[in-house]
Amino acid sequence: MAPLAPHRKRKQPIKEKSSDGSDSEHFPDGGLDLLSGDEDEDGPVQESDSDGVDAFPEIDAGSDTDEEGEQSPRDDDDSSESEEGGQDDEDALSDDDLHIFPRAKTAISDITGHPKKVYPEIEPDYDSDSSTEDAPNRVGNVPLHWYDDLPHIGYDVDGKKVLKPARGDELDKFLKTVDDPSAWTSAFDKNTQTDKPLTAEELDIIRRLQSLENPDASYDPYQPTVEWFTGKGKEEVMPLSAAPEPKRRWVPSKWEKQKVMKIVRAIRQGRILPSKPKTTSSQREFFAIWNDEPSSVHAPPLPAPKLRLPTHSESYNPPEEYLPTEEERKEWESTEKEDRERDYLPQKYSSLRLVPAYDQIIQERFGRQLDLYLAPRIQRTKLNIDPNSLIPKLPSPNTLRPFPSYKSLGFAHVRGRVRCVSISPDGAWAVSADEEGIVCLWEVIVGREVKRWSLGEKVGAVDWCPRTDVSFFVVGTEEKLHFFIPPNLPPAILTATRALLNPATLPSTPATPSLVKWVDLPKVPTLETPLLSVELPPSSGLVKHVAWHRKGDYFATVSSGGGQGGVWIHQVSRRHSQAPFKKIKGSVQLVLFHPSKPHFFVATQRYVRIYNLAEQKLLKMLIPGIRWISSMDVHPSGDHLIVGGYDRKLCWFDLELNDKPYKILRYHSRAIRSLHFHPSYPLFASSSDDGSIQVFHARVYSDLLTDPLIVPLKILRGHDVRDGLGVLQVKWVPKHPWLLSTGADSTVAVWCH
Amino acid sequence: MDGSVSPSIPVMFTTKTQYQLPPQKFMIPASWRRFQLSQLINTALSLPRIVPFDFLIRGVLLGGSLSEAANGEEETLEIEYIESVMPPTKLAALPHEEWVSSISCSVPGHFLTGSYDGALRVFDRGQTLFHTAPFHAAPITSFAIVPSSQQAAPADADDGDRLLVVTASHDRTAQISRVSLDGTRTTSTPLATLHLHDAPVADVASSQDGKNILTAGWDGLIGLWSAGIPESDEVPLEETIAAPERKKRRKVQEGGGTVKTKAPSAVLRSHTARVSAVEFSDGGNAVSCGFDSTVRTWDVERGLCSHTITVSEKPFLALAIPSTPETALAASVDRSVTLYDLRTGTSTAASVKFPHPATPATLVFAQSSATQFASGSYDGVVRIWDVRSATREVASARVWDGQKVLALSWAGEVMAIAGEGGVEVWRAGAGVEGGLQKETPSMA
Repeated sequence: MAPLAPHRKRKQPIKEKSSDGSDSEHFPDGGLDLLSGDEDEDGPVQESDSDGVDAFPEIDAGSDTDEEGEQSPRDDDDSSESEEGGQDDEDALSDDDLHIFPRAKTAISDITGHPKKVYPEIEPDYDSDSSTEDAPNRVGNVPLHWYDDLPHIGYDVDGKKVLKPARGDELDKFLKTVDDPSAWTSAFDKNTQTDKPLTAEELDIIRRLQSLENPDASYDPYQPTVEWFTGKGKEEVMPLSAAPEPKRRWVPSKWEKQKVMKIVRAIRQGRILPSKPKTTSSQREFFAIWNDEPSSVHAPPLPAPKLRLPTHSESYNPPEEYLPTEEERKEWESTEKEDRERDYLPQKYSSLRLVPAYDQIIQERFGRQLDLYLAPRIQRTKLNIDPNSLIPKLPSPNTLRPFPSYKSLGFAHVRGRVRCVSISPDGAWAVSADEEGIVCLWEVIVGREVKRWSLGEKVGAVDWCPRTDVSFFVVGTEEKLHFFIPPNLPPAILTATRALLNPATLPSTPATPSLVKWVDLPKVPTLETPLLSVELPPSSGLVKHVAWHRKGDYFATVSSGGGQGGVWIHQVSRRHSQAPFKKIKGSVQLVLFHPSKPHFFVATQRYVRIYNLAEQKLLKMLIPGIRWISSMDVHPSGDHLIVGGYDRKLCWFDLELNDKPYKILRYHSRAIRSLHFHPSYPLFASSSDDGSIQVFHARVYSDLLTDPLIVPLKILRGHDVRDGLGVLQVKWVPKHPWLLSTGADSTVAVWCH
Repeated sequence: MDGSVSPSIPVMFTTKTQYQLPPQKFMIPASWRRFQLSQLINTALSLPRIVPFDFLIRGVLLGGSLSEAANGEEETLEIEYIESVMPPTKLAALPHEEWVSSISCSVPGHFLTGSYDGALRVFDRGQTLFHTAPFHAAPITSFAIVPSSQQAAPADADDGDRLLVVTASHDRTAQISRVSLDGTRTTSTPLATLHLHDAPVADVASSQDGKNILTAGWDGLIGLWSAGIPESDEVPLEETIAAPERKKRRKVQEGGGTVKTKAPSAVLRSHTARVSAVEFSDGGNAVSCGFDSTVRTWDVERGLCSHTITVSEKPFLALAIPSTPETALAASVDRSVTLYDLRTGTSTAASVKFPHPATPATLVFAQSSATQFASGSYDGVVRIWDVRSATREVASARVWDGQKVLALSWAGEVMAIAGEGGVEVWRAGAGVEGGLQKETPSMA
C-alpha cells in the first residue's frame, strides 16, 4: 500500500487541474496564472505525442503475457522513480495534461456582451493531426520478425528500404537510461525498431489505469450540481395547476374509515373470524392425491389435436409425379370447396424464395374466428352412424291388423260429459253414463239405445261384472253404488243374477258393523230401479273408479273423498265391504286387481304400489316419474302395467323388472285420460284431452328374454275437445278389435277395424 | 263428331239386354266417353225413348274415355253395354219415431216395417199407416214374410191378403204372426213364438216354398223351424222380469186366440260367435254369416254345415244371395262388401271386394238382375253397385246425413230404405214395371 500513497498525493493536483480545465471560473486566479505560464512548453511535448499513439498498444500486448509477475517490479520502479523525479516532472506532467487540446481564452463578446471562449485557430498543416502523419515504414501489418535477419525493417512510401536503426548493446541501454531522463517513459516501437518516448497524455492514461480511475482525463465525477429550479429568482412563476389543494389531500378518508369500520364491526359481531382455523380438527389432513381416480365430474382436458405430417405433395418443390395433371387441376377447380378431397393443389417452385405468400390466410383466419366464436367448449365424440339405422325396426302397422281404424258409429248422449263406458263380457252391449246421471244401455254394433236409467246424480264409474253366468253392472254415483241388470236376459242368467243380488236368505251380517250399507231397493224387482244399492259412508264423495276382480265376486271402488283413501273392496256374495287401507299416503287415483294373482295395484298421485292381498303386505312400489297419475291398466298376462299421467306421459312397466318404467311414451299433446289393454288382442289404447285416441300394438312374449314390442298403430280423431276435456275413457270390446271411446262432447264412438 | 282427329279403335258391341245391335265392328274415336257411346247406341237402335247405357270393357265399367280403358291395345275391343242405373230419386218418406230395423216392400202395394219399439207396421203406398202390431216388447231386429203355402195358412188358405210374418226380436224369440191386409181394418194375430235362442235373434229368413223358417241368434245358433203352427205349447213358458207385462199385453192382443210356443225342428250349430244374417239359397240350402268371420253353407234338410268360408277378421253384418246361386255377398265391419264364390274350397281367391267408406249394414240384390245390388251403410248413403265393377259404385244416394241405414228392400223400381231416420222410399234401378210406374205419381 505504500507505493499508492504518492499516487494519491499526485491525484489531488491533477484533479484540481483537470477541474480547472473544465470550469476555470470556480478557482482563484492563481491557478489560471500557473496554467497560462505553461503554455509555451507545449510544442515538444506534442511532438512526442504523435509517436506515443502508435506505441501505446504495444505496451498492452507485452504486458499481457504475465501481468502479476512483471507488474509489481514495475510498480516499484515507478514509485521509486516518481519519488525521485517527482518535483521535476510535476510541471511537465501537468503541462502535458493541460495541453491535450488548445486552451480556450475567455473574451467578452462584442455582440452579446457576455464572456465567451475563444479557441486558437487550427492550422491545417501536416503536423496538426498525428493521424495524417506519414509513417516511415510502409511495410503494413505484417509480422516484423520477417525482417529480423534483414538489414532493413521495411520500405517507405517511395519503395526505398528503411534501414534498421542502430541498436546498442545492453551497456548502451543502461547508459541511455542513466543519461536520458525520458528513457524510462519510452517504449519500443516495433515498426521502426526504435524506442519512442510516450507522450504525457499516454502516460496519464497509463497512470489512471494503474490507479483504477477513469482513463478519460476530462471526466469529472464530482461535478457540481446545477440548480435550475431552486434558489432565488428561479421559482416557477406559473404553477402547473391553479386548483386549490383538495381537502382529501390532508383529511383522512371517510370511505376507507367506513370500510374499515364495517370489517371491525363484523369482527366484533363475530361474522368474520380473523383467525379461523382452516379445519375443524387441529390435526393436519393428508390427502393421498395419487390414489384417487381422476375426477369424472370434469371432462378430461382436451388433447391437442394432432396435425397430420406434411407429405411430399405439400412440399414447395414436390417430385413431378405429385404434380396434378391439367385434368386433375380442372376437376379440382370445378368441385365445390367442401367436396374437395384436399384443400390445396401441389405446386412446384424451383426455390423456396419463389414461393408466394399463402393465399388462403385471410379465409383461414376468418374461419378460425368463426370457429372460436361458435365453438362450444365441450368434447364431442363424433359418431359415424347412419341416422336411419337408429330408427328402430318396427313392423309396418299394416302387418299388425286388425286394429280400429275408423269410426263406425257414434252414440250421442243428450248433454253432459260422458265419463265412463263399460262393455258387457260378451261384447254385445255397452253401458255409458254421463254427468247428468243418464245411464244408457245400447247395442255396440248398431248404436241403438235399448234401455235408459236416469239416476239424477253425477255418475263417476260404470263397470260390468265380468262373470258370464250372471249379467249385471255397477254404477258408481255420489256415495252410492247401484247394481243394474240389462233387459232381455235369458231366464237362466236372469235367475242367477237375481239370486246373486237379491238372495232369498241374506248372508249373515258381520259382527262389526260396517260403515257401508247394502240396501235392497225394490220390493218387486223391475228393470227400472237398481236391484241392489251400496251406500258408502257419508262424505265419501263421487265414486270415480270401479274395478272388478276377474272372478266377479269382489270389486273395488275409489271415491274422491272419505277416509282410507276412499278405497273400498266389496264382496257381492257376502254383501260385505271393507277398507283395505287404514291409512294411505297420498290420494288414491285408481286401483286394479291383478288378473291372475291376489295382487292389488293402487295408484296414488305419483306412485303405483302393488300389495299382496293374501299376505297383507306391500310387494313393490313403482315409480313412473309422472307428476299426477290419471290412468292405469294391467296387461291380461299380469306381467305388464301401463300408467298414464296428466303430464302426457305413458309409462310401460315390466313387473318382472325393476320399479322404473321399461318405456316412456310421450305421444299425446295433452293429458292422458284413460288407458285400456285389449283382453285378447295385442292392443292397447290411450285417450287424451287433445281429443285423440292412440292405438298401440303391444306384443308381449312369453319368454322373459324378449322385450315387449310396442308399435304405434293409429291415431283416431273424431271427438271434439270441450272445456279442455277430450276423450275421457276408452274401452275395448271383448273378442273384437273394436274400441269404444267416451268424450266430453257427450258422445260415445265405436271404432272398428 | 271430330273422329278424324283422334285415333279410332275397332269396337264390337254386345249386350244381354233387349236392346240388341247387329254384330258389327265399329270404329270408335278413342276419346269417346260413356255419353257418346250411349248416344251412338240410341241412335243406332233409333229407340223411341232415350235409354242411357253403361259400358263394360273386360268386365270393368267404363269410367273415363275409351283410350284409357283400351290401354293402348290395337285389337278389337269387345264392349258390353247394359242399361245405366239412374241415380235414385226420392219418392216419399214414411214417418217413424223409432229406428226401423227391417223393411219389406215385396208385398204389392204395401210396406211392412219392423221397428225398434217392437212393433210391426203396415203402410200402403200412399204413406198411410194401416196397422201397428206391437208384437214384441223388445226391438224387432228383422222380419220375414213367409210365402203363402197350404201348410202355413191352415184355416182359410185362399185369402191373398193374409200374410204370414215372422219377426225376430231382442227378446230372444221369433214370432209367427198373421197379418190380414184389409185397408185400414188391417189386423194382425200372433200365432206362435219360436223359442230357441238365449240371446237376441239377429235375423230371420223363410224359404221360397214357405215351409221352413231360419232364425239366427247372437248366441251362434241357427234355428230351423217349420212354418206350421203347433197345436199345443212345445216349450214351457218361463217366467221373466219382463214377462208379466208382455204376457198381459199379448193376452189383450190375442183376444180369444192363444199363442203357442214352438220348438225348432233342427238347430244348426257351427258358428262360434253371433250369427248376423241367414238366408235361404236355392235347393233347400241356407247361407249364414257371422261375427266369427265365416260364411257357412248349410244343408238344411240334414242340418249340417256343408261348406265354410273362413276369412280373417271380418265380422260379417249382412248377407245377400243373388238370383244366380253359388255366390253370396257379405258385408263386414271392416267396410268391405265381398262377393264369395260358395263352390270353391276354403280359399277366398274368387272373392270380389267392394270397398265402402263406412260400415255397410245391409245388402239387397235387385229383384231382376243378378249383378246389381244395393248397400246401405252407417253414413246414411245407399250405394248401388254392379258386381262387374268393383272399384266404384254405379250410383249412390245420400238418404240421411250421418244417420244409419239399417235395412233395404228393393222391389222393381222401388227401393225402401229403413234406418235411424225412419223409412224413405226412393226410385232406383233400371227395371221398368208398368204397375209401379202407374202408382208412383200418387206417391210423389
